[in-house]
Parts: sequence; structure tokens; C-alpha cells
Amino acid sequence: MDVIHGLKGLLSFWSPQKPTLPFSVLFKKFRSILERNNHILELMADMGDKLGGEYVFDRQYVLDISEKVGDLAFKLISDLCVMTQNENVELFIAFERIQHEVQEELAGRRAFPMTRPAVPLDELNGDLNEEVGNKFANLGDIRNTLELPTMDGFVMTTRAFFDFMEANGLLSHIENSLSAVDVKDETAFEAMCDDVRRRILHGTIPKHVLSGMNTMMDNLSRSRQGEPLCFAVRSSAWGEDSEFSFAGQYESVLNVCRKSVPEAYRQVIAGAYGPEAWRYRLHRGYRESETAMAVGCQLMVDAEVSGAMYTYAPLPMEQEAMVISAAWGLGPAVVGGLAESDTFILDRLPPHGVLSTELGHKTSKMVMDRDGGTAWIDVPPDRQESPCLSAEYIQRLAQAAIMIERYYRRPQDVEWAFDTKGNLYILQSRPLNVRPNQPERHMLYIDHETLSAQVLFSGQGTVVQGGVASGKVYIAHGDDDLKDFPYGAILVARYTSPKYSRIMRKARGIITDVGSATGHMATLAREYRVPAVVDTGVATKVLKTGDEVTLDAIQNVVYEGTVKELSRFEITQEEVFEESYEYRLLRRVLKKVNPLNLVDPHSEYFKAARCRTFHDITRFVHEKAVQKLIELSENYQKYHDKTPKRLKSAIPLGLVVIDIDKGTSALPDARSVTVEQIESTPMKAILEGLTESGMWETDPVAVDLGSLMSSFTRTFSSSLARPDEVGRNLAVISNHYMNLHLRLGYHFNILDAYIGDVLNDNYIYFRFLGGVSNLQRRSRRARFIAEVMESYDFRVEVHGDLIVGRLKKMSKQWMIARMKVLGGLIGYTRQLDVSMISDEQIDFHLAEFNRRIQTLKEVSNDAPMCELRPKDADSHSGR
Amino acid sequence: MTPPCANCDQKTQILILDDEPIVCKRLRPAFQKAGYEVETFIDSASAMARIEEKRFDIVITDLKMKGTDGMHFLSRIKEIAPETGVIVITGFATSETAKESFRKGAFDFVAKPFKLSDIIDTVRRLVENRHR
Repeated sequence: MDVIHGLKGLLSFWSPQKPTLPFSVLFKKFRSILERNNHILELMADMGDKLGGEYVFDRQYVLDISEKVGDLAFKLISDLCVMTQNENVELFIAFERIQHEVQEELAGRRAFPMTRPAVPLDELNGDLNEEVGNKFANLGDIRNTLELPTMDGFVMTTRAFFDFMEANGLLSHIENSLSAVDVKDETAFEAMCDDVRRRILHGTIPKHVLSGMNTMMDNLSRSRQGEPLCFAVRSSAWGEDSEFSFAGQYESVLNVCRKSVPEAYRQVIAGAYGPEAWRYRLHRGYRESETAMAVGCQLMVDAEVSGAMYTYAPLPMEQEAMVISAAWGLGPAVVGGLAESDTFILDRLPPHGVLSTELGHKTSKMVMDRDGGTAWIDVPPDRQESPCLSAEYIQRLAQAAIMIERYYRRPQDVEWAFDTKGNLYILQSRPLNVRPNQPERHMLYIDHETLSAQVLFSGQGTVVQGGVASGKVYIAHGDDDLKDFPYGAILVARYTSPKYSRIMRKARGIITDVGSATGHMATLAREYRVPAVVDTGVATKVLKTGDEVTLDAIQNVVYEGTVKELSRFEITQEEVFEESYEYRLLRRVLKKVNPLNLVDPHSEYFKAARCRTFHDITRFVHEKAVQKLIELSENYQKYHDKTPKRLKSAIPLGLVVIDIDKGTSALPDARSVTVEQIESTPMKAILEGLTESGMWETDPVAVDLGSLMSSFTRTFSSSLARPDEVGRNLAVISNHYMNLHLRLGYHFNILDAYIGDVLNDNYIYFRFLGGVSNLQRRSRRARFIAEVMESYDFRVEVHGDLIVGRLKKMSKQWMIARMKVLGGLIGYTRQLDVSMISDEQIDFHLAEFNRRIQTLKEVSNDAPMCELRPKDADSHSGR
Repeated sequence: MTPPCANCDQKTQILILDDEPIVCKRLRPAFQKAGYEVETFIDSASAMARIEEKRFDIVITDLKMKGTDGMHFLSRIKEIAPETGVIVITGFATSETAKESFRKGAFDFVAKPFKLSDIIDTVRRLVENRHR
């Protein structure tokens, strides 16, 4: 901060003592900041929409939109410079840093982001396949995104591999050997393999790699309270478990005690240079530089039963069956085909009934040996012929496997184990190549003449997440607690709502009448890749609970019945959209744009230098601009000739009004204004909402504004809580416009709205920021507010404690009605925190709020909601 | 390969040309799923050669590409097979390029990015139009 003070001193011409710009100019800058702020958030939403799968976009789109966002962020900072008369050097530096990172992504220069030799499983996801190999990148998705159970552990990265190989001179040695050898000469080739493997097994592991490994094991040891650790040490090479499975080509070492992990590590790396694996790579056209072996070290599952599962059985695809192979003890018995196993054929469709069972004669099983490694022991006679999976185990396994399949949109080969306590663990999952049993794996086209399915509706609304889903409809109503939501059903609801995140894992698909593709629910649907379409307008009218339907959320069509051809087409198509370069590029760029790190303006970390994304910059600038606007109104005499007027109202709002154009009927130099004199359409509506809803009066807590405000000076950070600022609420209004800053209790509301006769000009921007309560209550409050707003057609974003809702292009009457609801909501939430003691409170308050607001939200039947409801109204940039 | 004929129940044949491979990769399965037969090309030279040897009912082409640009490709198709319906897709949509495409006989002009359902609708309209 000293640097900034120093800069300020040097740049004394920026000093606020100097004659300054008129209020109207500064206010224009403020409006411009709001507009750019909205525009950036819309572009971010637009980029998010493109990930849903409904749009075709190319690299150029990613380039263009990234440029637009960067451009806007830059102008946003420039606006703030004028408004605050400050150079904001740190903000520009943060901007340049982000901009540079985005440029590097776009230029395809992916910095090797993971320079650490070892990474815990908790940090992995599918994007890290270069750092940790495909197998463990997939396991990262399964563990961290899908939240399916996996054993704890860590991965020695490909970085560690290269460092190890380099330190032992092996990379150049391999290159030289390979160019010298005649690959067709079996003996010479195998001699080369032996030589390389021997060198690896005797190689020295560099210090930093070894210490990375030890740190990981120390951490695990701590979390396991010091119990002895046994690891499964497994290969995770580039390309393994992807298009080419390399199944069974690479090494795994089971039940490795801590002190033997380095040895097992070398052993797994050496496995990459076995003659079969090496030949396989050469045969597939892999270059030597494309060989890298990450190694996963996971705690062992003390497995009672384990095995493999194919989500498509090797049967004709039309049979829609999946298959489980299972045996007592550890996995290699089944996976390596070392012993007899049980086979269960199941229905792919929920509830995944067992179609046939074939029991093996299971005389021996593989177990963990006490001294490390594995051993075979006899199975007790009474268990040799009995099935090793119960109906319940089969059900749990099937649901997990289908979830993984849906995520990757590919049939899966899942390895799994149940421990002695009945916990299921996913050990790994790889795409299952169904080609061998399906010569025409990919149907050339779907013959629509033979496709008898009836289209129920199509082209309605917005696709949030692509994919195909068949299942029974379940209609959820506003007050539904969703306890009875059946596994595998398709959720159909009037509105999108954050509360549907509860059943996201059970649902096959989601369809709503109203709602936005940017809300919380949409984010989660994308996360889990649950096919979802919102804003269809008709879903709850056309569909009813129990109907069997197929949702094609790529082409956006809902069919009657189960259309198996579509599901099969989906899962066998040549390329999965989520695997494409453009998808991954857009996602990576979005990571530099979208996440919000500066959540809490009262935190010491809320500063320019901490901005890591364009969203952070947007947020920071907005916060500073609002602060400045309030300060400007404090010192209005310096800036403008509009006399601020104190609003006289029954409710103590502490509100000062600056009328810039026909916003009141009071005299220009009057120092106060009555509610009746307010002419501004949005202002009138919000005041009506506050008073007429009765939300304020029924509040049990006596309102003593003075004492509430004084609690602010204690709890709010110094950045916002200069005693003379607090307690002055501000509205800048004209006849159709209102910009309102309202701090009530612990809540800070910002409303920016234009409501006039031209529908396309109309918008409401609402921003709610709470504070002071504990985290859980704050998040419940956020969910409550978000649910109310989504149910009134707002596009809602929730970031921690901050809620932003946007609504636009609705007719005047509808806008006014919604403004009144917001008034009610502001009143209602004022003292909400104290009562948010449980999740049930959210539903209670929703019901209560809706009951009380009933009379206010009614719009006469002949008032149109909007003249046009263009399908793509949301995708237009600008307001 | 059997030549197309108007009266037998042959699938509608579509050729797609776009030098961004992702566009072809996404459009091919989408049209196949909708019941069409599709060939895709990412370089205009091969597409150019292909239209000389096979008639397509519908051609979907990008405008701005390396090598022969889409406008030239459009003109050539209309020379060889005037009955072919052409849909132009482009990321650089201006009213001038749109007008020029229509003047050269394009059926429709679609700006990228677009929804899959929109382009399929456009093709359906085109097919209906041709049968009229």
C-alpha cells in the first residue's frame, strides 16, 4: 500500500482538492461502469452457454469473445480511473497479468502448470491429463466432480517422470538406442528393452521427487492417524485409458508398504519399456517424446469382493444390457482372468434389474499378504458357490457406473471393489471400445421413417447441457421437498431452482418451463453433465409424472417413450464434444475469466493485486465505484447543483434522493420529498413493495436505525465504514430510472433499473450482499433469495454471499410487479439471518414469502409479459 | 456409389465444407442423427474435386477459408449443379457478405456460432422448398 501512497503523492495532479468534473459526468461514468459490468457478465454467461453442447462454435469464437471481455475489462478500469481520479496501477497490472494468461492459452502455449512432482488426488480433474496421465485424471473427475468414492492417494506427475529420466540420462539413452536398433529384430529389440528397464530399476530418484513423495505419504499417514499405509502403485501414462486403452500393458504393484514405494515407483516406470507396451506404442504411431509415465499411489482397499463392470455388455447393442464380473478378494482375480468369477447381466435402464446370473466355482481368492504383496488363499466352502454380490451391491454399482458413463458419454469399463464394511470404491474407469462386437459401431444415420417416436415438443427454450436421456417424468412443484424423487427419473419443473442440486445425481435429465441457463442449477447440471433444457415454456403442461420420455438435449427435442436409437447414437458417436480441443480451450479460457475469488469486500484480501480473473476485476471495480458514488453524494456541493432530498416515509430508510430528471414533483431546491411526490416508476414500485407487502411491519425486531448503523461501524471493514458515510442511503432517479444503494441492517442492496414504455429498454439489475452472519446461515439466505428471484424470472448468479439477479425486456407492468416483489424481498430478508438455523427454514421462508407477496405480484391478465419472447434474447450482448 | 435420383427414396445428401475441423465434427453426427447422409471436408480443394464427381442435394460452406474461399466455391457449385441448395455459415457476418451470398444463389446465411437445431431447421426448410 505504501507504493500506492507514494504514487499518489507523486501524481499530485490527481488530488481531489483540484477542481473536478461535474456530478453528471461522474455519474455517467458510474452508469458506464454498471453497463460494462453487466456486459462482461453476459459475455461470461454466453461463453458458459457454449459449453452446453447446443451451439456449434469454432476457435475464432473463443478468440473473439476473449478479446471482447478483455477490452471491456480494460475500459472498466479506465472508467474507474476517471470516476475516482486515481491511477489504479495495481488494477492495471492485475489486468495485464490475466490478459497475458488468456493470450497464452489462445496461442496454444500451455504452460506446464503442474511443476510439482507429486499431487494429491483431491486436486485432480480431467484437464490435468498431461500432468498426471489419463487414468488418474479420469479418477480425479470421478472423485472430485462426480463425488463417487475412491481411495485416498496421490500421483507422481509426468514432471517427476521427466526429472527422473533426465537425472539418470535415460531420455537421450533411449533415443540413441532406438535409432540404433532394428525394431524388426526381435532379439535386439528385446535386449534394448531389458537394458532400459534395468537402468530404470537402478536409477536414482532425484531428491525433490523423493521428498514430494514423502510429503504426500506423511500427509496420508497423518489423516489415517498413523496406521500403517499400504499402497496400490499404478501406471498412468499419456494416452493410457484414452482412445487406446493399453489395457494390461503397463504395470501395477499391489499392497506396497511405505518403505517400498520408491522401488514400486521405478518398477511401474520400467513397465513402460516392456517389449509389448513399447511395440504397442510404436505400432500406434506414438513418438518417443510422447511417452510419459505418471504413477498413482493409492491406499489399498481391503476388498471383500471386487471386479469389473462394462456399461455395455458384449452382446448385441439392442439388448441394452450391462455386465458385472465379480470375485471374492482383490481385483486381479477378475481383471487378469486368474480365477473363476460370477457374472451378472443387468438392464441398462433403471432400475437396472438383473437379467441373468452365472455363478462361478470360486475356490480361491487373492488377498493382501501381511508382509506386503499378494497371496492366494482358499475360499471357505460355503462361499464358493454363492453369489459374491447382493442385490443392493449390484444396484449401487450400476448407478455409479451409469453416472460415469453419462459424464464421459462413452460406455465405460469400470474397476471397483467393496471393502469388508460394505463401502464401494471405484478403482478406475476407462472408455469401453464397443467396436469388436459392433462392426457398424456408428450408425451412419438414424432412419427417421422407422423411428416411430412421437415428438412432444422441440426447439423450445435453451439447452443448458447436451446429451440424451430416457426415463420417467417426475413433476416437481414449488413446495416439493423432493424426498420421493426416484432414481433415473427426468425432473420436470416450472422454474429452475438451486434446490434441485439435491437430486442432480439421481436425475437422468432436467426440463423446466422458465429459467436461465446461467443460474446455480445450470452450473451444476453442466458439472455433472446432466442433460438439461430450461425455459421451454411448455414442459409442465405437456408432461405429467410417470410419462416415459426421451430428452434429446443436443437437438433439443422431447420424444414420447424410450427412443433407444438416440441413446445408442449418442454414446457411440465418433467424438464426444467435451473431448474436443475447442471445448477444452474455451473451458481453460473461462477459468481465467469466470471464477470469482474476491467474494468478501470486508476481507483484507479484497484488493486490486488479488484479482486473478476478469470477474474479480469486474467485482472490484464495481465495489469501488459504488463506494465512490456514495462519497460523491456526501460532498454533493462540490459536484452538482441538484439538491439532495431526504425521503419522508413511514419506514425509516434513511434515504437521500438525487433527482436528475423528472424523478419527483418536489421543488428543485426542496430539502425533502414525500413518497407521494416520487414520480420515478421504478422508485415508486420498490417503495410500494416495501410498504404494501407488509413485510416491514410484521418484522419482529424493533427497528432502531441508529443502533443498526452503529453495529455497522463495528463490523464493516474500514474501507466502507467511515462513520459519516454509514447511514446515508442514496437513490439517483429520473422518471424511468433508478439507481439505489440501500443498506439495511446487515444487508447491502443495489438496484439499478429502467422501466419505461419501450420494452427493449427495460431492465432490472439487483445485487444483494449480506454479511455478519455465520457461513451456513449466509448460504441458506443466499439460496432463499436466489430461489425467490429465479421463480420471478430473474437470471441469478450466486457467489458466496453475493447474489446478482438480472431481468430485462419485459413489459412495464411485469417489470413493476417484479420491482414490488424485490421491495418485499428487501424488507423480508432484513432480519432473516437469525432464523436461518436449518435447511428446512429455506422452504418455510419460501412458502411464507410467497404467501405474503401474493397480492402484489398480480398483473392483470391482458398485460403481456413481453411482446416478443425471442428465443435468443439472452444471447444478445448489451442490455 | 449410386447416383442420386429425385424420385427414389434416397437419403438427402449433404456436403459440409469448413476449415475449422470442429465444425465438421459437430455437424456430421448432428445431420446423421437427423437422417441425412453427410460428407465433410476441411479443405476447399478436396471439396471442389468432390462436387465435380458427385451431386449433392445440399451444400453447407464456410466463407473465409484458406485456399479457395467460400464465395468462389458457392459460384462453382451453382455452375455445376444449379439445383443444389447452398447454406453459407460464417463467423464474419456482415450485411455485404450476406447480400453477396444471396446474389450468388445461397438459400440462407447463418452466422457462427449457431445452434445445431437452427442449422437443421434451415436444412429442413431448404428440403421442403426443393420439393415444392
